[in-house]
Amino acid sequence: MLRPFELCEPASVAEASELLLRHGEAARIYAGGTELILAMKEGLIHYDYLVNVKTVPGLAGVRLDADGSLRIGAATPHRVLERDPSVSERFPAIARMEADVANVRVREVGTLGGNLCFAEPHADPGALLQVFDATVRLERKGGARTIPLERLFVGPFETCLEGDELLTEIVVPPLAPRSAAVYLKFGFLERPSVGVGVAVTLADGHVADARIAVGSVGPVPRRMRDAEARLQDRPVADSEAALAEAGRIAARASDAITDLHGSAEYKEHLVGVLLRRAFQAALAAVAGSERR
Amino acid sequence: MSVGRAATRVDTPAKATGRARFISDVVVPGMVHAKLWRSPVPHARILRVDPARAARAEGVLAVLTAADLPVKDLYYGPAFKDQPMLADGVIRYAGEPVVAVVAETAAQAEAALALVAVEWEELPTVATLDAALAPGAPVLHARLVPAAHFRDLTALRPIPSTNVCHHWSYARGDVDRGFAEADLVVEQTFTFPMVHHYSLEPHCAIARVDGHGITVWASTQHPFPVRKELAEIFGLPLARVQVIVPYLGGAYGNKSYTKIEPLTIALALRVKRPVRLALTVEEAFKTVRRAAVRYRLKTGVRRDGTLVARDCEIHYQLGAYADVGPRVVQKSAYTAAGPYRIPHLRINAYGVYTNTVVSVAFRGYGVPQLAWAYESQMDVIAERLGWDPLALRLLNVLKRGEPLMEGDLPIDCDFAEGLGKAAAQIGWNEPTAAPRRGKGIACTIKAPLAPSVSSAMVRMHADGSATLLTGTVECGQGARTALSQIVAEELALPLDRVRVARSEVGMSPYDQATSASRSTTLMGLAVLRAARDVRDQLLTIGARLLESERPALTLRDERIVSPRGERTYGEAVAAHFGTGGELIGRGTYRGERGHAPLGGEAPFWEVGMAAAEVEVDGDTGRVRILRYVSVADIGRAINPRECEAQEEGAAMMGIGHTLFEQMIYDGGQLLNPSLIDYRVPVMSDLPEEYRSILVENGDGPGPYGAKGIGESGLIPTAPAVANAIARAIGVRITDLPMTPERVWRASDRARRRAAPAEGPST
Repeated sequence: MLRPFELCEPASVAEASELLLRHGEAARIYAGGTELILAMKEGLIHYDYLVNVKTVPGLAGVRLDADGSLRIGAATPHRVLERDPSVSERFPAIARMEADVANVRVREVGTLGGNLCFAEPHADPGALLQVFDATVRLERKGGARTIPLERLFVGPFETCLEGDELLTEIVVPPLAPRSAAVYLKFGFLERPSVGVGVAVTLADGHVADARIAVGSVGPVPRRMRDAEARLQDRPVADSEAALAEAGRIAARASDAITDLHGSAEYKEHLVGVLLRRAFQAALAAVAGSERR
Repeated sequence: MSVGRAATRVDTPAKATGRARFISDVVVPGMVHAKLWRSPVPHARILRVDPARAARAEGVLAVLTAADLPVKDLYYGPAFKDQPMLADGVIRYAGEPVVAVVAETAAQAEAALALVAVEWEELPTVATLDAALAPGAPVLHARLVPAAHFRDLTALRPIPSTNVCHHWSYARGDVDRGFAEADLVVEQTFTFPMVHHYSLEPHCAIARVDGHGITVWASTQHPFPVRKELAEIFGLPLARVQVIVPYLGGAYGNKSYTKIEPLTIALALRVKRPVRLALTVEEAFKTVRRAAVRYRLKTGVRRDGTLVARDCEIHYQLGAYADVGPRVVQKSAYTAAGPYRIPHLRINAYGVYTNTVVSVAFRGYGVPQLAWAYESQMDVIAERLGWDPLALRLLNVLKRGEPLMEGDLPIDCDFAEGLGKAAAQIGWNEPTAAPRRGKGIACTIKAPLAPSVSSAMVRMHADGSATLLTGTVECGQGARTALSQIVAEELALPLDRVRVARSEVGMSPYDQATSASRSTTLMGLAVLRAARDVRDQLLTIGARLLESERPALTLRDERIVSPRGERTYGEAVAAHFGTGGELIGRGTYRGERGHAPLGGEAPFWEVGMAAAEVEVDGDTGRVRILRYVSVADIGRAINPRECEAQEEGAAMMGIGHTLFEQMIYDGGQLLNPSLIDYRVPVMSDLPEEYRSILVENGDGPGPYGAKGIGESGLIPTAPAVANAIARAIGVRITDLPMTPERVWRASDRARRRAAPAEGPST
């Protein structure tokens, strides 16, 4: 049963930051509540104050920078990202991933910033956005910093945000020409069990760049640079052989645990399967875009 | 014509607009709220309960333990009186209610739960069948008191000093000789996990005690048995116990028999205020589940495909209390060998207590667990003999008129016709369109509740409209619509001139149970007879008014019609009484006691057949159901659309336990009592193509030849899908649910066996 709490509605990021500072551990940001309210209902956590950032002007919305970067306000609902034409045109992998987050009710109220900051390990965006080298902007009253997204995640349900800091913006740089990204996930419970994001860039019949991120399997979504190295600077024709090895490396590095989603062994196996499929789909996507 | 038409449900407008009253809409003036402190440990002796701090909390009216409840008998249960309203010195499962807090608001009661102090001493836990059956295992119930509720449970056979609360056995022929005569003997063990019903509406009760007696608004499928048990517990005449049942938000058996009603009433007696106790979904998980089953099945078969012998050893993992478990054991074990001709048969079925959530009735009543085994094994036999699985079934399945059990109703349907329809619809003889695809089929039978009793009344009012009084509970199955259609049909009324009154034991005539797919058929007979009683009275009055012979009269469009003229029903009623008045029709169905092994003779057999085509992703183990066909032999569809809806809903429920549903225990702790971690089927799990086929031969005992429907759809699901998987990838899975990991592991093992030299040895 949901215990009573006070809902604060600040008018600015600075005011929200002040509220967090004032109430300390008793306050938490509310950015859609699809995870937070669930946990509060279950009695797992409680906050006396919820600081609603969905009504802070300027914190929601999507725009494209001159350099092609996608700038996403932290309070942007998944549903907006799923349907935004610039996202589906320039970052189709993100649009597709967003369209498959949880269910439509969650996507309608849940926000990208909320999803990243709650740091539930079984989630999609944190893995895919890392293969774009996304960065996040963290603000507090009187200061701001920008860090790579992968540094945001510290552990399950734990980020590097300071007590009075807010995630305000996610910046997703475009991939190089002749690139494609693909995110594949697998699961049968409400949340994903395994998620693998892949981005490839081709040049002269070679894999010029390969980026891999694995989510949901371990405590935090993370880039798999050792696995990436196995695929980089190889002729595309040879990549098939390297995929199995890359999959094994990524599986080992994913820190899989045995839980209700399945055994660690099974999840490691799935990392390999999804990596191979995502990589092949990305290659096909590059080829497809060149045929058009 | 009303019957046979896909009439719109009579409750659709109210439910679609939110006006339908469910128990959560019921507000009783002055009511206060109860919350339960539930045990965190599975087995313990309670040393001390200190209610003092909780009792001082804001708004709290009472903090009560078992010792504080003003009842004649703390224990209830339909088979044994073994379940205390609150733990009585001993805790037998994690989640068992120990202390009740009553407060002005639910939030206050909830907050006070954290202040309840309980000390306990843990006892060794038996959370699995193996642990509970091990020699020297702690025995959960030293002494069992039969409830004497069911006639067919008068012969309860607990095995003394063990956790077996009921052993049911049956034998015919000479099984050992049968195996000796067989050319092939197949033996396997199949398991079926604990699953939760998950009805959208968890259990709720509101109790009021006043000078008139007890009134309880209850989410129950069994208002009359609940009334009986409450009258016994509180020492009141039946007439002073009122049970009112609003629309139920789903039931599926989890609202069978007495649940939280006695406790809620006891609390109301103590605080002298109406009390509401509403469980959460998580609490529902800790209140009810389906019995898990381990079924060792051994079958002997001749080279010519005929089955000669079957030995069935079935262990049902019941929970901490028996509830209706012993009856589930014997009713389902009764058909454990399937709808086949088997001369030599032995069945031993055991209900076993464990330190887990109580297992209760669940759509299918134990049969899905057993059909899972016998229909999977039919395909194993077919494969070993090199036979087509459909042909093997057609050879062995009982024909119309053949006995299933001596003394019981002979087979009342044509299995071959149903199987033929399922096979034709799935394209049984056509090759699959892609690799890793396969088709499977299954054929199952379930015994109904027998004998049973239902009564109904039809009141025809002065304007010719009619009210049906029936104890059948509308739990989403469409009973009110089907029963209204019968009244409309018999009395030549449009459906909107028939209303069904709310079921409440003080007004509705007796009905034994809304369960076992019996309402349309057996309550339907009572309703039919009540309507015909009114019809008779109308014709008698009409004969007098129209000066005609009765045989010359008919009812048409709300009129009594004769060659000499016609009268509206209103005119007839007015002429009969002079003023006002109404005609009252009565009808009763009373089942035959019979001489079958379980006592009552089945009024009909509920049969379910299904065929599935699946595609298996060998890398991940994911099973996709491409096509699914459900065939129900229902005699006559009173409302074909609602029959199809029952079949669809049942098949979807079956897909749940087939592919992903299971309550997972670690020791005595339930790990997934929520919808985040316990996976129920959702829209995206629908088969890509779904078809339900109704076989209507008018051969049922119910109105217009109807038989029961509602459970049949989920009984064949798991084996049909497993058989399809086996034919797709050559792997036989014997444990449910067939999660992706399980399928992957099984196919991975098979791959390794098939090609031991290939691949790295790691």
